[in-house]
Amino acid sequence: MQIGTVVGTAISTIKHRSLEGQKLLVVQLLASDGRSPDGEPVLAVDGLGAGRGDRVVLTSDGKAMQELLKNQATPVRWSVIGIPD
Amino acid sequence: MRIGKVVGTVTLNRSHPSLTGACLRLAVPMTLDELASHAEPAAEELVVYDELGAGHGSLIAISEGGEAAQPFYPDMKPVDAYNGAILDSVDVLERRS
Repeated sequence: MQIGTVVGTAISTIKHRSLEGQKLLVVQLLASDGRSPDGEPVLAVDGLGAGRGDRVVLTSDGKAMQELLKNQATPVRWSVIGIPD
Repeated sequence: MRIGKVVGTVTLNRSHPSLTGACLRLAVPMTLDELASHAEPAAEELVVYDELGAGHGSLIAISEGGEAAQPFYPDMKPVDAYNGAILDSVDVLERRS
């Protein structure tokens, strides 16, 4: 699990079928100082209603995504699992 | 999944049998600054397996690692970068430093 900041949203029409109906967020993962960016931003599936500017906790568990999206063939890795207070 | 820009196509002459008929694109992962300023990406390019038909200049969602081979389940393919979505629009904030 990693902490990141939601920096934007992405919209896609042509996508893997497991992504249909899912909201895609662009999340910048953060380094241990909680401020500086850690690598390139990632696309994460969001079921919690996080918005731009929010700090979120992401999981990179591909197996959890297969269960969440009810699709064993999903290429998705990142998902929002929490919004810290 | 990272966001990448398609900059080219890869065609294989000889390949692993499981990759016969595959469409491969060359894509460059994009940083936040590049996304915000619509700059051309400067990172190293990746070869990405594409089943969606991404065109030159498209932004795509690049799935990497173990998940990249998951769409072929239960088949096994030696793929570690896969185009999960063609992005119509990516809307990001300018970074405030």
